Amino acid sequence: MRALRCLVRKEFLQLRRDTALLRVVFVLPIFQLLVLSYALNSDLRNVRVGTLDEDRTALSRLVLDAFPASDVFVAGPAARDAAELEALLQAGACDLAVRVPAGFERDVAAGRTPSVGIDVDGTNSSLAGRGAGYAGAIVMREAERFAAANAGPAASVPRVATVVRFLYNPELESRLFMVPGVIVMLVTIISALATGMAVVREKELGTLDQVLVTPLTPLQYVVGKTLPFGLIALVDLALATLFARVWFHVPMLGSPWVLLLGVLAYLLVTLGLGLLASAASNTQQQAMFTVWFFLVFAIMLSGFFFPVDNMPEWARWLTRVNPMRYFMDIVRGVLLRGAGLADLAGELLTLLGMGVAAFGGAVVAFRREGVRG
Amino acid sequence: MNRILAVARKEFLHILRDRRSLAVAVLMPLVMVLLYGAVIDMELRDLRVGVLDLDGGDRSRELLRATTSSGFIVEAERLHGRDEIEAGFRQGRIQAALVVPRGYGEDLARGEARVQVLVDGADASTAATVANYLQAVVALVNRDLLRDAGLAAPFGARTRVWFNPELVSARFVVPGLVALVLMMICALLTSIAITREKEAGTLEQILTTPVTPAQVIVGKVLPYVALGALDCAMVLMAGKWVFGVPMAGSWWLLAAYCLLFIVIALALGLLISARSPSLRVAMMAALMVTMLPTMILSGFVFPIASMPGPLQVVCRLLPATHFLVVLRGIMLKGQSWFPLQTAALVVMAAVLLTLAIRSFRLRLE
Amino acid sequence: MSREAAVFARGLTRRFGDFTAVESLDLEVASGEIFGFLGANGAGKTTAIRMLCGLLPPSGGEARVAGCRVGRDTAALKRRIGYMSQRFSLYEDLTVLENLEFFGGVYGLGRAELAVRADELLPRLGLDADRGRLTGSLPLGYKQRLSLGCALAHRPQVLFLDEPTGGVDPVARRSFWDLIYEQAAAGVTVFVTTHYMDEAEYCGRVSIMVQGKIVALDTPSGLKARTGGADMQDVFLRLVDA
Repeated sequence: MRALRCLVRKEFLQLRRDTALLRVVFVLPIFQLLVLSYALNSDLRNVRVGTLDEDRTALSRLVLDAFPASDVFVAGPAARDAAELEALLQAGACDLAVRVPAGFERDVAAGRTPSVGIDVDGTNSSLAGRGAGYAGAIVMREAERFAAANAGPAASVPRVATVVRFLYNPELESRLFMVPGVIVMLVTIISALATGMAVVREKELGTLDQVLVTPLTPLQYVVGKTLPFGLIALVDLALATLFARVWFHVPMLGSPWVLLLGVLAYLLVTLGLGLLASAASNTQQQAMFTVWFFLVFAIMLSGFFFPVDNMPEWARWLTRVNPMRYFMDIVRGVLLRGAGLADLAGELLTLLGMGVAAFGGAVVAFRREGVRG
Repeated sequence: MNRILAVARKEFLHILRDRRSLAVAVLMPLVMVLLYGAVIDMELRDLRVGVLDLDGGDRSRELLRATTSSGFIVEAERLHGRDEIEAGFRQGRIQAALVVPRGYGEDLARGEARVQVLVDGADASTAATVANYLQAVVALVNRDLLRDAGLAAPFGARTRVWFNPELVSARFVVPGLVALVLMMICALLTSIAITREKEAGTLEQILTTPVTPAQVIVGKVLPYVALGALDCAMVLMAGKWVFGVPMAGSWWLLAAYCLLFIVIALALGLLISARSPSLRVAMMAALMVTMLPTMILSGFVFPIASMPGPLQVVCRLLPATHFLVVLRGIMLKGQSWFPLQTAALVVMAAVLLTLAIRSFRLRLE
Repeated sequence: MSREAAVFARGLTRRFGDFTAVESLDLEVASGEIFGFLGANGAGKTTAIRMLCGLLPPSGGEARVAGCRVGRDTAALKRRIGYMSQRFSLYEDLTVLENLEFFGGVYGLGRAELAVRADELLPRLGLDADRGRLTGSLPLGYKQRLSLGCALAHRPQVLFLDEPTGGVDPVARRSFWDLIYEQAAAGVTVFVTTHYMDEAEYCGRVSIMVQGKIVALDTPSGLKARTGGADMQDVFLRLVDA
């Protein structure tokens, strides 16, 4: 126990003197949290709509004017003919183009149900589908409004109305969704990378032998090496969560203790994996590359950037072994849905299991390390 | 020139002998493309919806049938009480719930019935779309009601998607991956290369020879240009052959811009390494500065136009942003004229290189 | 010898695949002796030392250090020995005192004990004035002494020194050996490897390893008589070139 405390004290002393590292590990993440959270807005806004009005009647203008009036779209350039509209899309001057064909008002009056053309620039997958959806919805709404206004037979037909309510996030603030995710990513990057390099550094500097000769057991060594970075990650997490609550008003519906439990379990995993990478590498560069390799995949497959539900079966299996995904579920569950211990038991136990395995693996690796030539 | 080549050759040997780093630098981009191309689908499909039918009459059953036959919604789980809705959300089993109130049939006969659509707002990126889909389903039901009464809707919409008709996300994602991969790998590798020698003390050794600092830098950086170009080519080839990402424009033009971007990434790596006192600081700084900002701020996934104004300015300061516009323009639309982007990229390259070289001169004195 | 040997090895062997680095080593070092372990580069010295320190398990044979069986009583063994590696393995970003406190603490010394021990050791090592200096800023000779201090903090019974005077000037080397004599006089067994043949003269007995085997083991004068060498350098060259 005394030996362990000595090791931890040494690690902290070294850390305190490394001001450059401290800056990277504390200042940079908070700064990134601030900037990136503002960027992480999945609400569509400022989608530019190009228009082509071939009918030039009151109705056509009504339909076209509905677009800039919405939250999502802004008015784009107006084309004079089909060729120009195509050119606008091609050049990226607008993201979406709405075209009212000639004879529109007349066909509507005659009951021929003409169609408004919506052309979407498919190259921007992040907004093409949704943009098309919103555009279609706007046209449909105008159609319903028109039908209701010009009463007549249509008024007596029964209809179904929907009342939409968004639970847990009534204003649909996507920030609430994103900020916890950014926090998770930052904490992961720091804890895994830092630990990954910690031991290899000693190997490189030659002090590892000196330490192995002492009565320190492999378990004590492993714990001593990871404790400081675990603590740093915790501090980062606390700061980030505080920031998120105060600045972005991300709520905390669930119990902070459940969150803490989740954090500890998750840190066990990231630190353990970082150590394994360290044990398996000879230089800091190798350790870093190994950690980085898995880090990028974990981030991409965590459900943060791309929805997991859409992935093919085999990919979804991969996400099931991704600790980041479970942690994201825990963080979001506790912060935004008020999920409790019972709801998240599965995720917590999974993380715990992974953590123990990773740490156990690291201890075994170091036991072998001390015995190698 | 010979001296530069000598430095470059030594650097090449370093790279080749470090098998693991080489494997990661070469394989990772490839695996990323193959994986993400197959896996990423940004369109919402197969929604998981819960339905609570408190009415149980014929008309409500019709509504529910329409729900599942719409094609968007695959699983419609039957719920038996309001508490099951909360539970379903909290456990992440359903994304939305459709509640048909008691008396739905009678209300409809009288003229208007209401259904409640509850959406899991915690998943904000999909919530609005999910709500839209459910509303679209109801709109279809309304259209059927009109039709049954022998009437037609006044007008409708016909949607067409250009350049990427099935909205294949791979076409969108692959150019983004090229930028991400180049930025991360080139910046990371260069920052390591120089700092590593600084730490080992061998940089000093080299500088006792007639080689000038500039020659050292150029020599060290050359192999990484080659590596970056290799990675770039692999990602593009994989995108083309495996996912059919088109190449509507000129390969030469694409190569030229890729080279420009590689130079920018390398200069960034140099700058980081010149200002980092130790290897681990250099690596962590390089990683943090390139990874998340490129993923989030470059227009890779999140549309820049949707971000707040001041942040959009920040986005346009990133080289990756402009590079993506060029890449997508060349590959997907066959464009070849990018005045704004070219100017931006060239200026960035010049600025970064100057800063890097100046920082190095200071350091080495 | 009536008392048990401080370092004892019989048939100690270590193989790496096909290559035998250390072959059937036999030796006995008495308590308080200064034993010189010589050999050319690559002869297997470092491998042998690493086995005796508990860093590497033997492939064959047996050994006992400070009464503990090598390869079996590793935990107890580690507590009774001190080790100074070739590279002086110190933490450059810690001060002199902090390095000493770390290594002492890791060996189980309490805070109070450490304070007392530091006050004892540092003046003797000539480092008292530099307690608060960062190790990285010290000249090589100081680092060497600090490294020795860290190996001594916990009062080991056996001290293993792997080329402790590499790259240090002759004056510093001389004073270092004074320190070694002090330890030996206090009963610590010193097991030292070195390339400096003049230092071999300071040892009680010396062994010379060639290609994994000990080819000679005797006092310096005994070896000189046997080989007809004028000094240890001569002895060495004759035995190694043979």
